[in-house]
Amino acid sequence: MSPVNDSYPAVISPEHTFFELFELEESFDIDTDAIRERYRELQNQTHPDRFSGADEARRMQAVQQNSLVNEAYDTLRSPLKRAGYLLGLRGIDTDQASQNDLGMDLLMEQMQLREKLTELPAGESALAELDKMKQDVKERLHGSHSTFAKQFGDNDLQAAKKTFFEMQFLQKLQIEIEQSEEQRLGY
Amino acid sequence: MALLQISEPGGKPAKSSHRLAVGIDLGTTNSLVSASCGGKVEILPDEDGSYLLPSVVHFAANGEVIVGEQAKSHAISDPANTVSSVKRWFGKSLPEIQAAAQSSQYQFDPGRDEQAPAVLTAAGSKDPIEVSAEILKSLVRRAETCLKGQLEGAVITVPAYFNDSQRQQTKDAAELAGINVLRLLNEPTAAAVAYGLDSRDEGDVVVFDLGGGTFDVSLLSLRQGVFQVLATGGDTNLGGDDFDAAMVKLLRQKTGVDTAKQAGREAELRRYAIELKHRLTESDTAEIELGDYRGEISREEFAEATGSLVNRTILTCRRVLRDAGIEAADVDNIVLVGGATRMPVVRDAVADFFGKTPLADIDPDKAVAIGAGIQADVLIGNKSKDEFLLLDVNPLSLGIETMGELVEKIIPRNTTIPVAKAQEFTTFKDGQTAMSLHVVQGERELVSDCRSLAKFELRGIPPMVAGAAKIRVTFQIDADGLLSVIAEEMSTGKKTEIQIKPSFGLDSSAIEEMLQSSHDHAKADRDARMLREAKLEGEQIIDAIGSALKVDGELLEQDEKAKIESVMAELRESMEGSRPALIHEKVEKLNKVSSGFAARRMDLHIRSLRGESIEAVEMSKD
Repeated sequence: MSPVNDSYPAVISPEHTFFELFELEESFDIDTDAIRERYRELQNQTHPDRFSGADEARRMQAVQQNSLVNEAYDTLRSPLKRAGYLLGLRGIDTDQASQNDLGMDLLMEQMQLREKLTELPAGESALAELDKMKQDVKERLHGSHSTFAKQFGDNDLQAAKKTFFEMQFLQKLQIEIEQSEEQRLGY
Repeated sequence: MALLQISEPGGKPAKSSHRLAVGIDLGTTNSLVSASCGGKVEILPDEDGSYLLPSVVHFAANGEVIVGEQAKSHAISDPANTVSSVKRWFGKSLPEIQAAAQSSQYQFDPGRDEQAPAVLTAAGSKDPIEVSAEILKSLVRRAETCLKGQLEGAVITVPAYFNDSQRQQTKDAAELAGINVLRLLNEPTAAAVAYGLDSRDEGDVVVFDLGGGTFDVSLLSLRQGVFQVLATGGDTNLGGDDFDAAMVKLLRQKTGVDTAKQAGREAELRRYAIELKHRLTESDTAEIELGDYRGEISREEFAEATGSLVNRTILTCRRVLRDAGIEAADVDNIVLVGGATRMPVVRDAVADFFGKTPLADIDPDKAVAIGAGIQADVLIGNKSKDEFLLLDVNPLSLGIETMGELVEKIIPRNTTIPVAKAQEFTTFKDGQTAMSLHVVQGERELVSDCRSLAKFELRGIPPMVAGAAKIRVTFQIDADGLLSVIAEEMSTGKKTEIQIKPSFGLDSSAIEEMLQSSHDHAKADRDARMLREAKLEGEQIIDAIGSALKVDGELLEQDEKAKIESVMAELRESMEGSRPALIHEKVEKLNKVSSGFAARRMDLHIRSLRGESIEAVEMSKD
């Protein structure tokens, strides 16, 4: 009835990998400007608003395809999700971590950093120390990104898997530090 | 690689006629309607030139329905038949409505389900959807008079924190009013659209909206015609009213005036507190003259008394930034919306947190409706599609109940919509044929702290051992923020789909029908599986006896051997058909006629190995 859009949404198959959908090489290092631009393009082709006058079947198809585009973008732009997805493409399951995957050094470090966080004084006096920790974790996270990119590029998947768990831990710690900061700021 | 086959979206929209579409801000206190006139979106006035339509509806005994300013006058003379602030009732049960203030003058229909309350008026029983539909009809009449034509569609705004059932009720009200809903749009998003299109700025913008009773923050990225909501957050129990209450408390402390036992005096103290608050917006200090008390109050004192309230707004800002993965310093602009943002204590805190001066140049009363009007104009096809696309998020996390009444999040808040997430479930008992799912919305970890959206049972799961059945449940949120759930039974190879709109107006017969059809599907699946299993069993026994006859055939008399072979032929014949029961019957018969042969073979083999008796072997078989 409406002339807004009578065509079918773009044909996006769930068979395609997110990298194929975004026309990227399967690599950890990606051009964030390029994926944003491609996302905009895919949104313009698949967003349900582009089919607001079309029939029910087309709108449903648009909703499904656009959901896939959103999931792909969400996965690609997050370093941690991207790393997990890449490992999954190579048949490495990251849902389960064995002690072997984590490594004794990472386990020990996790314990030490968590302890440090809980032992900080409750008042505002700890804010400077928290800020330092935050910067520290941020830098290490960047470091682990480069490590992962290299290991994955070299197809050293077991090492890359270990780095993935390190990234996961650092990201969790980052959130815990921020929450601890909020508590002290009296929010 | 040709990854995408893109058909060019169906040409340009017919430019010959301008299609009429409006934006509607359906507010708790006031409602507005806007439309594009000569390329610019404007608020449409009524005959008297006023823009705001009070969201008040009066139901008279003669069936006449009065909406707006006139209805407001009836609120005093005939409160029982005059419904106001009905938006607060959306998605609420009767006890929830009665627990909240401002509902004591109404009589609720005792014949209604507690989950679907309605007010008894002189014109009959009216539920929140019907009352809202009257407000919407009045806005449509105004628009059609103004625009001299028939409306083809509308975009209606809802608070960002509205949950699924509240959104569904808004949509139901619009449909009842005969409106073609193009889209439900989050209010802060609409305000940002009004601001963004106005200024043509690019970058990341925070919309900080502190109203009378609620607080909303949205972070939007505006780039090349794409408005993307990156994250949104809010506090439904924080607003200007709380700052008034803080001022009342401060006044009591300073003056020692105790009005707690004098109802009239309490209201007077409150009015005075609000006046003081306004004076402190204009200047650093304000004189107090209250009863015998003479003194002064400073902005600092007020800032100290409201510090924790301001902190709560900043905490929400922080969370929104964290969800979006953006630092406060990276935000390009902050837009203030809502009357309570006029307070310097709020402005200063916002400026301090973001490190820049916030903008306050859009009319807080009109911004939401204007944004909705812009979006309506795009969706109906009057604007070029390349100009503008709006991407929104789901403001509340969606989860399901797991063991121990805990919530497992399926779709976290601030995920760009539409979105679909699939989760696989399995049975935990042998032969389990049903499974119940409870979908909730909210950020808390306990089910009881979240809003329950839907509870439903998946039936007709084929009986199997624990953990063998695979049920994939897909949660789909559409562009309006509305949820549907699709369940597929995977283990039989055939899919069973159930689509459920877990909404207030859920038609239970429709669900029953869906469940019944899923049950029927499952039965067909089960039959097919039973046939496959029976055939498999038949093949196994034919193989086993066939090879035994080859090896130990001399143990049998000629007629014994012929008998076994004829039953084997019967079994083969039954396996050509599709009756599992018949196959079973022939398998049994073959077992029976060959049991003597089996016993003799076993006896022979075992005796040769261990020298034991037949009886002992048969015992150990059990």
